[in-house]
Amino acid sequence: MTTKASKSTDPVSDSESDDSLSQTESWDDVEADEETQEVISLLDDRVFPDVVSMLAHCKEQHSFDFLGIRQRLQLDFHGCVKLVNYIRQHVHEGLPVTEQIAKSDFESDEYLKPVLEDDAVIIGLFDLPDVVPEGVLPSQVQDGDAAPLVNSLLKRNTELQDELARISAQFESYRATVSQTLDQRWGDVDQAEAEAKAAGKTAKGPEKPEDASKYYWESYAGNDIHETMLKDTVRTDGYRDFIYNNKHLFAGKTVLDIGCGTGILSMFAARAGASRVLAVDASDIIDKARENVFHAGLSSTITLIKGKMEEVVLPVDKVDIIVSEWMGYCLLYEAMLPSVLYARDRYLKPDGLLVPGTCNMWVAPVADSEYVMDSVGFWRDVYGFDMKAMQSGIWDDVRVLHWPKTSVCGEPVGIQVLDLYTIKPTDLSFAAKWKSTLTDDIDALDGFLVWFDNFFAPTRENQGVELQSTADEWAKVGKDRVAFTTGPYGKDTHWKQGLLLIKQKEDDSKATALKKGDVLEGDITFAPPADMPRGLVIKTSWKASGEEKARTQSWSMK
Amino acid sequence: MAGEKMDVEQAEQALKSMAHSEQHYFNSYNHHGIHEEMLKDEVRTRSYMNAIVQNKHLFKDKIVLDVGCGTAILSMFAVKAGAKHVIGVDMSTIIFKAKEIVATNGMSDKITLIQGKMEEIELPFPKVDIIISEWMGYFLLYESMLDTVLYARDKYLNKDGLIFPDKATIFVCGIEDGEYKDEKIGFWDNVYGFDYSPLKETALTEPLVDTVEVKAAVTDPASVLTLDLYKCTVADLAFSVPFKLSCRRDDFVHALVAWFDIDFTACHKPIRFSTGPHTKYTHWKQTVFYLKDVLTVQQGEEVECNLEVRPNDKNRRDLDISIKYLLDTQDSTRYAEGRLDYKMC
Repeated sequence: MTTKASKSTDPVSDSESDDSLSQTESWDDVEADEETQEVISLLDDRVFPDVVSMLAHCKEQHSFDFLGIRQRLQLDFHGCVKLVNYIRQHVHEGLPVTEQIAKSDFESDEYLKPVLEDDAVIIGLFDLPDVVPEGVLPSQVQDGDAAPLVNSLLKRNTELQDELARISAQFESYRATVSQTLDQRWGDVDQAEAEAKAAGKTAKGPEKPEDASKYYWESYAGNDIHETMLKDTVRTDGYRDFIYNNKHLFAGKTVLDIGCGTGILSMFAARAGASRVLAVDASDIIDKARENVFHAGLSSTITLIKGKMEEVVLPVDKVDIIVSEWMGYCLLYEAMLPSVLYARDRYLKPDGLLVPGTCNMWVAPVADSEYVMDSVGFWRDVYGFDMKAMQSGIWDDVRVLHWPKTSVCGEPVGIQVLDLYTIKPTDLSFAAKWKSTLTDDIDALDGFLVWFDNFFAPTRENQGVELQSTADEWAKVGKDRVAFTTGPYGKDTHWKQGLLLIKQKEDDSKATALKKGDVLEGDITFAPPADMPRGLVIKTSWKASGEEKARTQSWSMK
Repeated sequence: MAGEKMDVEQAEQALKSMAHSEQHYFNSYNHHGIHEEMLKDEVRTRSYMNAIVQNKHLFKDKIVLDVGCGTAILSMFAVKAGAKHVIGVDMSTIIFKAKEIVATNGMSDKITLIQGKMEEIELPFPKVDIIISEWMGYFLLYESMLDTVLYARDKYLNKDGLIFPDKATIFVCGIEDGEYKDEKIGFWDNVYGFDYSPLKETALTEPLVDTVEVKAAVTDPASVLTLDLYKCTVADLAFSVPFKLSCRRDDFVHALVAWFDIDFTACHKPIRFSTGPHTKYTHWKQTVFYLKDVLTVQQGEEVECNLEVRPNDKNRRDLDISIKYLLDTQDSTRYAEGRLDYKMC
């Protein structure tokens, strides 16, 4: 998960409403209503019980031979749909329709869009007799030597029937998808209205936390953020490899995907043989996921459910596997993990699998005077002006960036293992001790770098992830294991790393130089800030061996 | 200092009560990163510096208004150029940092900084001699503050007052961009073996802010809109203009790219900077509009285009953009005609 996009790609503006608008526009005429089976005439207001009698009426009363035109133009199903809509549109606009229609008149794909709500004619097209292939008119059949012709006709007939069956199935599935999408949308609108009403009654007050959360979901409604995540090959390949390398674990299983986004992990699971996948996301992106799933032909396996994990009702009581990509910057920023833990306790079978199953977190001391000069020193002389006021926040915020491994100056230290099977939400605030030996001589310690590794194991037990387990070494043990790091020694990921920059003392000329082999030690805490449950505050105290007083500093992400 | 703190709290409170999209706009400017990026954009900052500091004869003893002052860098340039007094206005809480910066540089008596919306605040002077502003957004007009500048001009600028900058021009050209188009748009055709075309449609409607290499240009640039800041009105910011792109070589056109030039014509020696692909990088980069079709063009041919831009009805800071194109050739296999609707948000 994760990423606040940069200014250029900010997904946060209210794209949600417009997005859904543009989509509903094309489909709001198709709302399924099974009760009305009346066939309305193409050319006037009369109503018929079926398409055949309606077409007969058109031929008699209006000299308009629909079947004749269909035969002449050799129309397939889609062609017929376009023709129907073309006629409806013309009649609707009061324009004349003649038998001399050319195929090019209604070539445009816009005619695939129904003009008439729930048009029984389109559904009834399946009941019409087949088009006779061109050049195979009945007169020729009488010319004797008919056997090959009959054979080819029979063959063609079978082909067409197959084709028809396929298209019918596709159409049904499509109808179902459309109506499901629409129901969902109307549901959303209703809910939004109800909420607005409720909010109106209680005036502006206690709904602030709700707003903050809405902002969070909206930030995932745009395209860019998903592009970034999908193109993070370390992340996406990691999930794919684990799922595809362990198909036996997924075969016939019920899988829950929390925060499914575009649906990629759900589709991996379905392709791996899962019998049922439930994909939950509260963001509007789920509407795109639904289309993606449909195009992949996995609509019957994957059920998409829009809402918050804690609020939705799943159609099953228990699931075999929970897949989720919940990790935020510095692992815990954004705090999606509590939702996963909620789902684990509520839905996961006692012997069920979590993907991933374990994470560990790392810290390492860093020194890079050039970086500090460019990002901190910069403010002391901006076109001749002293902007040191701009420096203040630099030491208060966690900076998310790709840090070069050459600027890590001490041994990385594992500070926490999160065994997802056993941890509780309260474990997400924690304190740990750390100790690191410097690997370089440095003029000054500039800060600390924080990252995490992820571990995907095929079993609940014997995962063997220790405090100091690195992704690479752990994954070497077995082919069924997958792990990846987001640290400076691995390939870049969209999580980058978190930099905690140390505030220099006022007289920074006296920065303490340290030598290779010197030992730094201290403790570190992670916790969400009181006013923002999705945020993160990291605090550490440290001292070099031989130093008397430890320094303490804290950084936040909001 | 206690009073200062209250101001900050009040300002934050005021921000919270705004519509969400507005709030986001003003809030996003609070982060240092954006100011750092803008200040480190040398083309931008140096052009403003030269335009102001090299024209002391224009600024001496003048009252100057800095619209959307941010860290107050332009205000301080104006003081250096001899301005009698500068008023900096910004809605964002960055202005409290600007106050500290101005104090650090000993200019507090020369610069008055006001936090608030231009339309709602009261200036300590009834009229000003010069308006300076760095109001340009991506594609010139996206998230731009131009409407605020025009409001300030109409309400506060003396009859013969000056505006820095006073001219902005949007240019468009056609580019060959097959590889990147494939990476950005084609990507959705096959995502780990799945068909993601629903996201492709969205991707096509989102103009891409990115840098384009000058060698990608297949056509000459066409100037499509020039804004004279002394004369233009808010109504001019919604426009529809036809233009022609003449092809320099036989090639393919995958996208149109837009950028803008900025002029300070009041300067003794006119100063101009461009954000185009042919010149130095700026943080505005360029804006790429991918076409659905690939146009196959021959040297000397012209593509007839039309660009329509208007602020979104729901969020004035978003832009609705339509591009029409017609490649009318004798060769029917290359004939192409189309229209695409984009949204910058």
